[in-house]
Amino acid sequence: MGLMRIDLLSRRRLLQSASALVASTALPAWSRAQEAKGGGRLVVAADSEPKNLNPAIVASNGVFFIASKVVEPLAEASYTAPGGLAPRLATAWDGSVDGLSVTFRLRDGVKWHDGKDFTSADVAYSAMNVWKPLQNLGRVVFANLLAVDTPDPLTAVFRFSKPTPLQLIRNALPAVSSVIPKHVFEGTDIAKNPANLNLVGTGPFRFAEYRPGEYYRLTRNADYWGKDEPKLDEIIYRILPDRAGAAAALEAEEIHLAAFSAVPLSDLDRISKVPGIQVVTKGYEALTYQLVVEINHRRKELSDLKVRQAIAHAINRKFVIDTIFVGYATASTGPVPKNAPEFYDPEVASYPFDTRKANALLDEAGYPKGTDGVRFSLKLRPAPYFNETKQFGYYLRQALAAIGIEATLGNADAAAHQVAVYTDHDFDLAVGPPVFRGDPAISTTILVQSGLPSGVPFSNQGGYENKALDSVIAKAAETIDAEARTEFYRQFQKIVAADLPLINVAEWGFITVARDTVLNVPDNPRWAVSNWADTALRS
Amino acid sequence: MRPVRLIFGTTEGAIGAVLLSLLVLIALFAPVLSPGDPLDIAGPPLLHPFSMARLPLGTDSLGRDVLAGIIHGTRTSLTVGLAAAFAAIALGVCIGLAAGFSGGLVDEALMRVVDAFQILPGFLLALALVSVAGASLPVVVLAIALGAWAAPARLMRAQVLSIRERDYVAAARVTGMHPLEIAVKEILPNALPPVLTLAAVIVAAAILTESALSFLGLGDPNIVTWGTMIAEGRNVLRSAPFLSVLPGLALVVTVITVYLVGEGVTQALAEGKAGQVDRQGPTA
Amino acid sequence: MTAALRLIRRRLATSIPVLLIVIVLTFVLLEFSSGDAVDAYLISIGGGDPAVAANLRHAYGLDQSHLARLWLYLSSLARLDFGWSVAFERPVADLIVERLPNTLLLMGSATALAFGLGTSLGIVAGARPESATDRVISTVSLILYAIPGFWLGLVLSIVFAVKLRWLPSAGLETIASGRTGSARMLDIAMHLALPVGTLAVIYMALFMRVMRASMAEVWRLDFVTFARAKGLSRRRIVLRHVARNALLPLVTMLGLQSAAMLGGSVVIESIFAIPGFGRLAQEAVTQRDTPLLLGIILTSAVLVIVVNLLLDLVYALLDPRLQPSDRSA
Repeated sequence: MGLMRIDLLSRRRLLQSASALVASTALPAWSRAQEAKGGGRLVVAADSEPKNLNPAIVASNGVFFIASKVVEPLAEASYTAPGGLAPRLATAWDGSVDGLSVTFRLRDGVKWHDGKDFTSADVAYSAMNVWKPLQNLGRVVFANLLAVDTPDPLTAVFRFSKPTPLQLIRNALPAVSSVIPKHVFEGTDIAKNPANLNLVGTGPFRFAEYRPGEYYRLTRNADYWGKDEPKLDEIIYRILPDRAGAAAALEAEEIHLAAFSAVPLSDLDRISKVPGIQVVTKGYEALTYQLVVEINHRRKELSDLKVRQAIAHAINRKFVIDTIFVGYATASTGPVPKNAPEFYDPEVASYPFDTRKANALLDEAGYPKGTDGVRFSLKLRPAPYFNETKQFGYYLRQALAAIGIEATLGNADAAAHQVAVYTDHDFDLAVGPPVFRGDPAISTTILVQSGLPSGVPFSNQGGYENKALDSVIAKAAETIDAEARTEFYRQFQKIVAADLPLINVAEWGFITVARDTVLNVPDNPRWAVSNWADTALRS
Repeated sequence: MRPVRLIFGTTEGAIGAVLLSLLVLIALFAPVLSPGDPLDIAGPPLLHPFSMARLPLGTDSLGRDVLAGIIHGTRTSLTVGLAAAFAAIALGVCIGLAAGFSGGLVDEALMRVVDAFQILPGFLLALALVSVAGASLPVVVLAIALGAWAAPARLMRAQVLSIRERDYVAAARVTGMHPLEIAVKEILPNALPPVLTLAAVIVAAAILTESALSFLGLGDPNIVTWGTMIAEGRNVLRSAPFLSVLPGLALVVTVITVYLVGEGVTQALAEGKAGQVDRQGPTA
Repeated sequence: MTAALRLIRRRLATSIPVLLIVIVLTFVLLEFSSGDAVDAYLISIGGGDPAVAANLRHAYGLDQSHLARLWLYLSSLARLDFGWSVAFERPVADLIVERLPNTLLLMGSATALAFGLGTSLGIVAGARPESATDRVISTVSLILYAIPGFWLGLVLSIVFAVKLRWLPSAGLETIASGRTGSARMLDIAMHLALPVGTLAVIYMALFMRVMRASMAEVWRLDFVTFARAKGLSRRRIVLRHVARNALLPLVTMLGLQSAAMLGGSVVIESIFAIPGFGRLAQEAVTQRDTPLLLGIILTSAVLVIVVNLLLDLVYALLDPRLQPSDRSA
């Protein structure tokens, strides 16, 4: 059903872009101007208010959702552009053969919202002073960045101390390369600069107003470099803290759009039948979340591969997909999602649902059922961030009971969960939702790599140690040749699936629900966190 | 068995007592009425009521039996309500007795603590405590009790103050009884009844507070609670309203029951007292 | 008047230790909890390494001992400085000034409505105890009392905002509408109708039941029998004598309720997306923002103290022992 919807949508999109094409080429200039003037105010549901809205410092989806319309990256993910990467502030990029430098050609004629020119100095400043030292993801990707040379205002050359794969840089660009104005930040305490909230960027929208607890307001940037863009006059992010609020507000026509599955999955079937409302499943392909069972290998029973295999066999992925995700997810085979075809390798060890086999494995491992049918007891901590991780917790508890493992669920809020799992290691099993960010090196290998200090969220805190796996990860990190590097990540997937440092259960993208007056909704694989320059409202 | 007869003497008390016995029976025999773990997935998801004989009230979005949830939820609600009320009253009685009996600086200090707890918004305190300590049944009970013990403490102290000047206490003092013995043997039994009438209100409020905490996602995930059922049913409030309506009704009936029993007890006590000489002023 | 002044002075003297206890309690609650502001922040941005965490802890002052932090807080509080909210990166005082009026508006209207309706219904019911009217009012109010607020809020919102579309489903006012003056007031009133209605219905039941019970008590008192013997009309007895005296316990209850109300607003503010104190407090807890939670609790505690003081003064004015109510008869 999900697939059919995508087909219908893409056909509609095709028609829309076809008519847009006609409008932009065949009509006289005055008419084109009118077309672009369409305008209108788009009201969108938001459920959080990031205290730091600067995407150059905080590369997170919560921040991008708002800030990506104001502050732009060097390049953005794309369905159609070569290599899946479309130019934004950079128009071309090229890596040196030795992997020690990457040269970016920058877009000409771009102005900051305060009227100053955008130049390579801004890129150099952002990279050296913000991305590398301050940004949560940039600290990993740009760890070996030595300097950024600016031979001319439109060229920026990134120089690295160690060979750095262009493949990684390319894949990371949409998330890590938001450029902020040097003239606003230089000489100030970057972390405390007021422009972290009152954003100054080059994007299609200007930051206009923030009413805490109520809304953010962005207005059209008339000087935007994109031709005839943006289409909208205003975007309002209306803060609706209650999860069920978005659906009601959509139906009452108080908002136009709710992204990131703000409308609960279980309500989609109903709301898709409401006239005037569309359910959109595209637009999150590059923002894949993974449902993962994290394992504490310090626990004797769980350090036994047979026990981990038994747990993997005890999980009915079909039930998880069909019931918990109401069909809006895919079963995982390993640590790299299917949505990353560049790296994805389906030829890995698999664990079909088989309770009998799981029980046999546990018997083999030497954990027979006691008189009460229980082999041993575990502490299970589902992450509280998503309804689905909590529901999977309920399910896993029952699935484990079926193979004689008694699990007690914990219910802690975000901060307490973070400390319990990633700092204090006070768990046996945890359910986590890590994100695959386009390249395994950004936030995926860290989930299984050993030797990490404690206290790092979404990392291997289960005490798992596998020298062979560590060495594959290390080699991939410094391999320049894309093909060879990809091969290492294939090995990586095979080892993880075979040795089960953690169990990948499912992977999902979010769902957007919008009034059908909103046009051009899913036009790139990071749509919700992209610039929305061509999003429009039908009057 | 005079008090029981008195409770049944009032309409409210009679209805309440019957309903409460019913609820207690359901709670006690939950494992018999609905064997197995009520959190287990028992059938296809979102089954509407009366569509399958095995699952008469349907299933939730995971496929858990709604009837089993409601039956076992009775246990949780009554347990939380009674345990929280017991803890609150026990704490309140101890503090109130200590304050009223010792007087002076101890009294002053204890009463400032009571003031502080009465000023703190109870629900906010419970929310904060459960958030930071993790949602498990004992923590929820403790959190609710902490927000509810101030009123019984205050009432207890007032009772103690009025009783400790009476003749029989003075007599006990003259005979050289140990102060602690006087407090426990002479004052406590006489001061307790009015404090106990607060129990019903505290139980009812505790049940509602527990459900509101669960609604905010702060329920113990290892047991069924009506609040959690409502919270999870809310996502499908429009397409499967029974998922929030049925546990909601159970909650309303339980709270009404507890309240009615409380009214009955209060009236019974008032009538019992009307027979005696009224020792206090008319407006006290 | 001197009695009133004495009351105020005594209250002020006792409230300082009370506020201190409140501060220490709140401080201990958040400071010794699992996870701190940095943990909460790192989770919200999807991760971070230990160096980032250490820098943030230093910047937030979380690397100091608990006692040092408590002392720091108290000494800045002595200078009337509420501190800095790490969750919002703004002064706590600003946040409080911004959100308090919304909550006061919400709670004030709900309480006024609940008090007015509750007492009136209580008088109607209590005028003829055990009559059919009394039974109906009592039963309905009992059911309303038992309905969880969040549940009522959800249902009302679906009926009136989604189905009928008479009222907006969320928010305090229409976003960036540019309305001013009476148009804006009307807009805010429309937005507050559902949350205020929900809260008022729940509290009304409570006031009604207390009023009725209190009237039943007063009916039994001597001076009512006296008034009856004097041959006064029933209407006059009910309003002038019974209701007036029965109002006293309600005034006391209003004071006790004022503390509970702030807690009750957490869920309602969240369902109806009202940027008020309750929601702010909830965020302070999830973000482990100790100064913010302390600021909120402290402000609400002061408010409760002031409200109770005012009510005590009102009580003194109403008390029949100071001012006999049958004076006008």
